[in-house]
Amino acid sequence: MNDSLENLGKSLAGELLKQSEQDASVTPMDAVLDAARAGKFTADQCFRLLACLWTLKRIMYYVYGGWAQGINLNEYPPAVAYLFGKQIYDESTQEMQFCDEILRQRWVRTQKQLFAHSYVKFGTATRTGAYIFCLRALANYPQNIRIAALNLGPKVIELAWTERFANALPDESLHALFQSQLAETRSHVLMGRFQVERFIQKVVDAQLAKRLCVETRRDYLFFLEETARFVLGMEAEKAGEVTVTADID
Amino acid sequence: MPGLRIDHDKCTECRMCYVACREIEINAVVVSPTAQHLLEIDERCTYPKCTVCLMYCPAEGSIVETGTGRSLVPPPAEVWTENRRWPRPA
Repeated sequence: MNDSLENLGKSLAGELLKQSEQDASVTPMDAVLDAARAGKFTADQCFRLLACLWTLKRIMYYVYGGWAQGINLNEYPPAVAYLFGKQIYDESTQEMQFCDEILRQRWVRTQKQLFAHSYVKFGTATRTGAYIFCLRALANYPQNIRIAALNLGPKVIELAWTERFANALPDESLHALFQSQLAETRSHVLMGRFQVERFIQKVVDAQLAKRLCVETRRDYLFFLEETARFVLGMEAEKAGEVTVTADID
Repeated sequence: MPGLRIDHDKCTECRMCYVACREIEINAVVVSPTAQHLLEIDERCTYPKCTVCLMYCPAEGSIVETGTGRSLVPPPAEVWTENRRWPRPA
């Protein structure tokens, strides 16, 4: 690889990380954290929080299933497929943890009951749905571009708010839960940087990755807003209330 | 006090025990809240009444009796009864 191609990937990774870190500095989840720190976090609100997070992690199987179909043999070195497999395994682990905690707290008694509970319903016409379908649509793009869009976008934001939760949540079991997820989420961000630096070598791919990263970040922030509203019992947004201001070009 | 524990030197983290335990609604196999996320068996385990995880574990010696340290994978003859192998929730 010559220097200019290598620099393209490096500068792109740096740029995407910087933008995502800016978006991550304040997120709607901070309102949830503030409520928890102020002791205004009821058991039901905690159940709502874990239910929303469980729903998203659960539906990620659908996203990764589509993505996995698009990894061609010998298109990338084995390390790329391995890291992707590890990421799927990690997301599955985190999904199990949210489910475990809900069952341990006895908010529902069985996994079967949890699947039927209204808090974990996956609605297509929701912010969660929009984010998931946005990610699923990335199945049509090469692995290097979609990993750039997810791992250097929403994953950076996820890492930031999870870190704040891990540091500041007063509840011991929740603190341990979020703390234990940090190593995995951090490794996903690092894996994203590795892939972008090594495998984005065309200007057109870099532009595409930038555009898609803006979209995934925007949709993830909307998912977080929907989650925070639901957890805190705020009224759901009205049609037309949210305007999209991101300049995706 | 759970009757079973996982020997992490032998466990392959395949998670079959987790799936089987969820399926029969005992929920005693959990992901530990540590950075390694190892599987553990908590106090909800009903062994010796239930032995379902032993039937699905593929890694020899990875589930042991807490008190005696005796390996239960592959499952010894005395746990192979219909009720213990697949106990139905009440």
